[in-house]
Amino acid sequence: MAESADHITCMEVVELVNDYLERTLPPDEVTVFEQHLNFCDGCDLYVEQLKRTVETVGEIREDDVPAEAKERLLSAFRDWKRS
Amino acid sequence: MIAYKFLRDDATGVFTGFAWPLPGDGPGAWVEARVEQCRSGIHACRTADLPLWAGRRLYEIELDGDIVEAPTKVVASRGRLVRRLDGWDGLRGEYTRMCADRAHDLALGASPPLAQWDAVVEPSIPEGPALLGFVAARIAEEISGLDAYHAERRRQADWLAERLDLHQNPPPGQGAPA
Repeated sequence: MAESADHITCMEVVELVNDYLERTLPPDEVTVFEQHLNFCDGCDLYVEQLKRTVETVGEIREDDVPAEAKERLLSAFRDWKRS
Repeated sequence: MIAYKFLRDDATGVFTGFAWPLPGDGPGAWVEARVEQCRSGIHACRTADLPLWAGRRLYEIELDGDIVEAPTKVVASRGRLVRRLDGWDGLRGEYTRMCADRAHDLALGASPPLAQWDAVVEPSIPEGPALLGFVAARIAEEISGLDAYHAERRRQADWLAERLDLHQNPPPGQGAPA
């Protein structure tokens, strides 16, 4: 996983963040992950923003999305898949 | 067991956001949670763990019930804040400076000197004690390996325990005194 069992880099935080937020990281990796957040303001902010995004998106039901926005999103995803 | 806990400025948990019952005339109310390392339970520091989790406010915490000692933390099923360690408020900047000076000494004392590592020290100071402690330990590791990283962490913990006059917990893995 990491350059060391005792600390991780910002890049490794990015790699592990999904597992951290989904609570699937093993305890020893959670420990070094949180130690990194404790001293790295940039990563702490990054994880906090992701956490809020996940919480917000989790509250939105399909019916909540206006038809126009839904069409724009679907169009963007179609273009992205083609590119 | 007496241990230590860092909280945010608003006395909430750093990673959970939990609003801790604060001590007043006596200790704060007991908080209980199932023990599951990094997921549930009262997480706290022994003296040796303090540099790894350095934060804004520091409290002495009494732990009780099931207590699990992990390599860099201790987790219990019950805990209550006993008192705020106000000394940390005034010491935070001094500790940060000590770690910065140590990082400079290590980086510039290496052969050849680690100029690129040294250059990150001063710009890191505004980010506080946890980062500077890490920087100093990481430079020690770069020079002499992982044992030097741990030795630097122990040095930082001893510095804090002495100046804050803390109850010295036994080193991780050696259990509580009889």
